[in-house]
Amino acid sequence: MSEPLVSIQNLRVAFRMEDGEPFEAIKGISFDIPKNRTVALVGESGSGKSVTSMAILRLLPSNAEFGAESKILFEGKDLLQEDPHALRKVRGGNIAMIFQEPMTSLNPVFTVGDQIMETLMLHMGMGRRAARQKAISLLTECGLPEPERRVDRYPHELSGGQQQRVMIAMAIACEPKLLIADEPTTALDVTIQKQILKLVADLQKARGMSVLFITHDLDVVGEFAHEAVVMREGEIREHSEIRKIFESPQDNYTKALIKCRPHLGRRPQRLAVIDDFMQGTPYKEPPHRPRGYSHGDEIILDVQGLHKTFFSREGLFGKRAFDAVKDVSFKLAKGKTLGIVGESGSGKTTVGLTLMRLHEATAGKAFFNGKDILSMTPKEFKAYKRRIQIVFQNPYASLNPRFTVQDILTEPMMLHGIGSGAQERRRLAADLADRVGLSSNALSKYPHEFSGGQRQRIAIARCLTMKPDILICDESVSALDVSVQAQVLNLLQDLQDEFRLSYLFISHDLSVVKHISDQVMVMHEGVLVEQADSDVIYANPQHDYTRELLASIPRGWPRDSFNAEGALAEA
Amino acid sequence: MANEKGSRSLWALGWKRLRKDHIGFVSLWMVAAFVLLALAGALGLVASGWRNEVAKPYAPPTLLKSLGPKHVQLTAENIDAANKASEQANGQPSTGTSLTADEDPLAGDLAEASKNEGQYQEAATQKAETLPMGADLRGRDVLQKVLKGTSTSMLVGLMGSLAAIVLGTIMGGFGGYFGQKIDDLLMWFYSVFTSVPDMLLLLAFSAVLRRGISTVILVMALTSWTGTFRLMRAEFLKHKSREYVKAADAIGASHLRRMFVHILPNVSYLLLVQFSILTVALIKYEVILSFLGFGVSVTQISWGSMLAEAPAELIQGYWWQMACVTLFMSILVTAFSMLTDSLRDALDPKVK
Amino acid sequence: MFAYIIRRVLQMIPTIFGVMLLLFILFNWVGGDPSYILAGKSMNATTLANIRAQLGLDKSQFAQFLIFVKQVATLNFGISWSNQQPVSSILAARVGPSVTLTGFIMLVSTVLSISMASLVAYVRGSLTDRMVTLICTTAMSVSALVYIIAGQFWLAHKLGWFPVLGWGDSFAKNLVTYLPLPVLLGVIVSLAPDLRFYRSCFVEEMNHDYVRTARAKGLSEPKIMLKHVMRNALIPVVTSIMMSLPYLLVGALLLETFFAIPGMGREVIMAVDKSDFPVIKAITIYIAILTMIFNLLADIVYKLIDPRVQLK
Repeated sequence: MSEPLVSIQNLRVAFRMEDGEPFEAIKGISFDIPKNRTVALVGESGSGKSVTSMAILRLLPSNAEFGAESKILFEGKDLLQEDPHALRKVRGGNIAMIFQEPMTSLNPVFTVGDQIMETLMLHMGMGRRAARQKAISLLTECGLPEPERRVDRYPHELSGGQQQRVMIAMAIACEPKLLIADEPTTALDVTIQKQILKLVADLQKARGMSVLFITHDLDVVGEFAHEAVVMREGEIREHSEIRKIFESPQDNYTKALIKCRPHLGRRPQRLAVIDDFMQGTPYKEPPHRPRGYSHGDEIILDVQGLHKTFFSREGLFGKRAFDAVKDVSFKLAKGKTLGIVGESGSGKTTVGLTLMRLHEATAGKAFFNGKDILSMTPKEFKAYKRRIQIVFQNPYASLNPRFTVQDILTEPMMLHGIGSGAQERRRLAADLADRVGLSSNALSKYPHEFSGGQRQRIAIARCLTMKPDILICDESVSALDVSVQAQVLNLLQDLQDEFRLSYLFISHDLSVVKHISDQVMVMHEGVLVEQADSDVIYANPQHDYTRELLASIPRGWPRDSFNAEGALAEA
Repeated sequence: MANEKGSRSLWALGWKRLRKDHIGFVSLWMVAAFVLLALAGALGLVASGWRNEVAKPYAPPTLLKSLGPKHVQLTAENIDAANKASEQANGQPSTGTSLTADEDPLAGDLAEASKNEGQYQEAATQKAETLPMGADLRGRDVLQKVLKGTSTSMLVGLMGSLAAIVLGTIMGGFGGYFGQKIDDLLMWFYSVFTSVPDMLLLLAFSAVLRRGISTVILVMALTSWTGTFRLMRAEFLKHKSREYVKAADAIGASHLRRMFVHILPNVSYLLLVQFSILTVALIKYEVILSFLGFGVSVTQISWGSMLAEAPAELIQGYWWQMACVTLFMSILVTAFSMLTDSLRDALDPKVK
Repeated sequence: MFAYIIRRVLQMIPTIFGVMLLLFILFNWVGGDPSYILAGKSMNATTLANIRAQLGLDKSQFAQFLIFVKQVATLNFGISWSNQQPVSSILAARVGPSVTLTGFIMLVSTVLSISMASLVAYVRGSLTDRMVTLICTTAMSVSALVYIIAGQFWLAHKLGWFPVLGWGDSFAKNLVTYLPLPVLLGVIVSLAPDLRFYRSCFVEEMNHDYVRTARAKGLSEPKIMLKHVMRNALIPVVTSIMMSLPYLLVGALLLETFFAIPGMGREVIMAVDKSDFPVIKAITIYIAILTMIFNLLADIVYKLIDPRVQLK
């Protein structure tokens, strides 16, 4: 084996917190990045993967401290010891980096072309004219449509996917030997994600550079990486060839990560969670759970012709209309889950918010137990409000930071007259907290003292206090780590079984939706494109858009066609 | 809201952070001391006798008396001698008024008075030669004046600030939360009041209202609510679309409940910071207003009215009144400013 | 853009109306009957009645308001109550000195504070940074009055380096003789708060993601500061400068009073002192209109320097 491009040895990183105590983010890891290979760095939040990637170019904040024996060797030199002048030559020139949020990572006041040209003029010593030409050719290579026009545009005039292409162009401009990609596709739609992944894979092959790809999604990694490094809480759990990781994982945590993702091919009764693997006993997958609407199902919600238009001011006196939801009709069966799937801008969230009357629908009817809830007066609707509840996406934003958990859980009861007094309500709150898996002392704590998954449990408990019939889950698990997501999905399933709740499950994540839904409806730009039982729709999609959507899902392992040849070749 | 021992509300965390910030913590205590002083002054417990003329005019400060201009003590003999000298120089008798006893309408009364003089005794109050911080033109104790002045200035600052914040919050809250017509109306108010620079507006109000502390407080409240309005309007607008407010809507909370039970506690830390900034600004404005003669009335005393005496004093070389006021004001405002900065750092959830 | 400007101009009308209403309420209702002030020594029934008729005070409130509106529309506020001169000509003469004085102060102060702020922001967190912040805070705690009084006393009266007060006829004479001390004091007073504000603008920008990207590209720290950060920080800085331009005209009130500079600020103070309502009303309306115009200009400039802004 030839010498590695970058060799990370005994890396230890601690952050000095405001109270003076050091927090060890990385506890001594070592791995090599070989030449001309893609290495995936995989982990959940808090694993230290981002910190590792930023450590290479020393882009960490000033309160970061390296261990004394830590070394990061690049072409024989230790990057951690290099003087600033030499380090600057490496940055952008030999090792380049792209980040997760392209919108904020690009300077908003300079054109896209200027920013690419800047690095060319700095490292390659090009003049303005030559740099501009090269910038255009780089943008072409990165698949940006109409590069001669777009080169003079500002970042905010481009879409998320286009911005990321610009960042990639800027990064590869000076022919770096290593490209570090820190979760570059996490913020993008799944169809765009597929394009960007393909771009990175193609560039890696064409230029013979190494790529260090940081992600939390193993399936993404499976598409095109050669090796994977799995990290957890600042340590490396496993590091091997991609085939070995998927086919014969050694470490329990790796096994757990692979298994607890909802899979398109199987639907176990319960999703695997980390604990299932960490005990040491081998994991047995529970039996398959069939799903779908059946004939005798009672229909609890019948939506007909739902329409929502947003107006904004334009020109001197004009108004501009934007149709978020156009003529959507569907039925929700009692005790079942209807999944609504779509990318950003599809209108799926608006459907949920409109049914709850958090937005006022422009047109349409929604029959709940025979009555049209959309045409009721706000006063009439009050009685129904508690029967349809919603769990929002962002666990960090949906709980009032100034309320204790007890306040959060007792408030709805107080507003709807549930429970005979404050004492009774507290008791009910404690019961619910227990039911959703929170510890007994959770009631007196504040939201910021809990993790993302725990906060979602609190949000779910809040909904349950009112004993709703319908629960709308608006991207409720999308912001959670894979392992936590599995726990929350299992909880939702248990609650549905116990209380015969009906769910409207909104998400962009097709695998999750398939796992939990009986029927699935696909939305695209406000229009309901296709609707069928979940097994049917995934096996046999009718509409073109559904097909495109399904084709974009990262399959993980085994590989899908676009990468079958090159990546598997041995070094 | 329930807050059992062991749990850490955001306020408790903020307090902890403030305590660790040594400068901020010290500033907090200094400001608290000034507030107590102000209260004591307002209740008459401190410096209530500031009007008493207890010292000789322009008595110098006790410890620094060598740094003042030299005083010449004039006695009756000096005056007589001076009169005689000018008599001789000008060859004219100077009897004060140069009127004969017949022409002088007061001659009779004066004769009466000098006859009765012997019967009365005047309690000879010993006028002090020096005072801790010196005396002003009328022999009043500068230290007493400055303490009472602290009370006035602080009172004006705190109350004016409080009124401005309450007004601004209510208006900003309703405007930001409800939007549309209500917001349009409130924004109209805002644009009217902000199209005139603060000082000008203050002067315009002062021109039509009588001088006095309550006027100053009223005027300050009416001109400074705009900053809080803009801040609260933006915050309520931002928070309204946050998920925890949507969740409150979903569980059935009314508009008022959402505004004041849900949103307000999340923005109150900003109000605290704003309160401190505004208090400092208003104290400074009051000083200028009173200096120009438009602030507190002549019977009241504040830092500004003390500074009004400064230019005349400086010319004659009496520096202590200005120095004293500057010292007190400087300490308070610096402490307050430090406190504001520390409060901002301690309470800002982003830092968390 | 054109539609935007028209829209903004139309929006100004209700605001001007509001200011007029405010002034009317203040001066005609709250302010009470000024005829006593104007009658002065010759206070008898006939004189008072005459004055009232002249000022239109014998008409209804609504009619009086219409008179006021007409005054604003024609920019003719009648005669000053204190010196019987036409208000418009008084004000016209006062604009020049105010603009000169505050213009210079603003120019010098801005250049100094931006350059110092960028240096301080560059070394943020260091001892220098904290010392400078501390000095600024302490400097700001001393009232402007004290600086002016002390400055005038020491530098002009005692040391005789500058004239104690006054104003000349020609621009050149003012520039050399009468402006230096007031400008110096004005700069001293505004330097500290400006420095703190600009520093915070720079520091705020330095925390953004694009700075990390620039570093990852291998740019040197000074380059990042001067090219990337500065250009972005310029947005709030320029906006803030544009927004404070209307204050140019009210001028440095205190400086004008102390140094007997015949500007708008001093005029206002004298007018308030003498309860000269027409002058106060006129100055306020003028300033209000100018403020609105400057705010519009500020928004347009903002659009020009920030490519993200879309004016609707």
